[in-house]
Amino acid sequence: MISFRKGSIGFDKSLFSVEEIEFARGGVHVLMGRNGIGKSAFLNTISGMINPIKGSPDFDGKALYKYTNKELSTKIAYVSSSPSGVPFLSVDAYLMLGRNQFTNLFGRGNASDNKAVIEAKQIFEIEHLSSKFTNELSSGELHLCAIAKAYVQQTDYILLDEPTSHLDYANKIKVYQLLEKLAETHNKGIIISTHDLDLAFKFPFNFYLIDSKHQQLKPIKDFKEVELEFKS
Amino acid sequence: MNSSRFNKFILLLVSISIISLVILGLRIGDIPTGFSDVYHAIFNYSENNLSELIIREIRLPRLCIAVISGAALSIAGMLMQTLFQNPLAGPYVLGINSGSSLTVALGLLSGMQFFNSELGLIGSALLGAFIFGLFILFTASFIRNQIGLLLFGVMLGSFVAAIITILEASSQAQSLKAFALWSMGSLNGVSIEQLPLISFVFIVGCIGTLLIVKPLNVLVLGEDECRLMGYNLKSLRLAIIFITALFTGLITAFCGPIAFVGLAVPNLTRMLFKTQNHLLLLLANMLFGAFFILSCDLIIQVLSDIILIPINALTSLVGAPFVIYILIRKLR
Repeated sequence: MISFRKGSIGFDKSLFSVEEIEFARGGVHVLMGRNGIGKSAFLNTISGMINPIKGSPDFDGKALYKYTNKELSTKIAYVSSSPSGVPFLSVDAYLMLGRNQFTNLFGRGNASDNKAVIEAKQIFEIEHLSSKFTNELSSGELHLCAIAKAYVQQTDYILLDEPTSHLDYANKIKVYQLLEKLAETHNKGIIISTHDLDLAFKFPFNFYLIDSKHQQLKPIKDFKEVELEFKS
Repeated sequence: MNSSRFNKFILLLVSISIISLVILGLRIGDIPTGFSDVYHAIFNYSENNLSELIIREIRLPRLCIAVISGAALSIAGMLMQTLFQNPLAGPYVLGINSGSSLTVALGLLSGMQFFNSELGLIGSALLGAFIFGLFILFTASFIRNQIGLLLFGVMLGSFVAAIITILEASSQAQSLKAFALWSMGSLNGVSIEQLPLISFVFIVGCIGTLLIVKPLNVLVLGEDECRLMGYNLKSLRLAIIFITALFTGLITAFCGPIAFVGLAVPNLTRMLFKTQNHLLLLLANMLFGAFFILSCDLIIQVLSDIILIPINALTSLVGAPFVIYILIRKLR
């Protein structure tokens, strides 16, 4: 369980505040809000990349800042909104980097690492990309690979910053379905931000809105709130 | 897989070439020597035989330092290119050498005896390389542009060159001579007695690089990813700069500046092996770096009757056009 009480989020100055919020494992949690409201800042805060202005996120009963980088990397995987491809880094090698905490001193994987990579490629249907270099992929393909890399990390939580923004409609649906399944069958806590509201609403996710009027993050009880937020 | 067999084949080929170049290098020169001289010079040495003396005291140290300098500078280049995520980075173009040159100049031209000793020379070269490495690391935190960082390094080099010129102009003949000898830079300046110390520092650097192969592989994905994968970026950066300074300072102390090897060879190996696996790149850079400097040395020896080419000039002749090639590819 990730929880955050009486906190505020921002890079230099506060963007919005959080009264009380909890993200349980076994569910997909969707952050919504207008551009620039601070969705990425929130995900960065939860992943430990930036410090909150006030308060501290809490991971399974222990404050985030008490974790070392190493411990945190076994707890959370993070997928950025625009992963960048690297010349001469093949998709296979890229996915193997996701197994970093399991591989040996020189980054070589054993049989179970290889199995995890192959399984991820099947799940995300990217087997045909295996030996392609990551800088030669389309942004949609690269994004699928990045999500697959987060999957092989086998962390309790996965944070994804706009995971569907580069994908075509079919892949958007596929990613949402996969995330739903991952949360259920693997008991992962998944937090995403998105602008694909119409599609997301069709899934049994938990929704949260960063309200621009009150500058506050809160769970959504009534979808009218969302409509109101994006209309004004 | 096919690509891994290709890699092994290439690495084997380069290894064989290195051995052949060393054997060839031991034999050719002003005084031609036979295989038996080479054998005796190494395993059954007698000072009274002129051929054996030349092989053991002149050619062997020169070839050893050729192998070590090529390997060390290429690994240093690989480290800097990964650290700055910039194919245009290298110990020479970013001015790490200049740091060594400056501290060695300050030491030698001060006239103090200590700085003219082996330990004083290597100590001041390492210190200078490390300080300038930190300086470049600091600068890179706000010059994000790849070509901008290159320009900064070049400017740093010119600036240091100017300071050294002023120091030279105002120093005494005795210390000036020591510095002039050092700054000419060549593979001939190393004696066989110095080889153990040089090899030791070189091996320490190699082991250090071997230990950070895994974080280097992750660093390729960017600094944020590296942190998210659990690494402490600050200590990783410091480790990389420290190892780079160790390699660059070592070679600059004993051979003077050798340009562009550290930039060209890592680019070449990444292109040839098409990988970001730093374990393979480490091995490849070691071998290709050694091969490159040995080849340069062979050219110098063969042409020595007609013209004397300093090693630094030859590597620049090959390296500078290569940098221009990469620049054009980037800018287009």
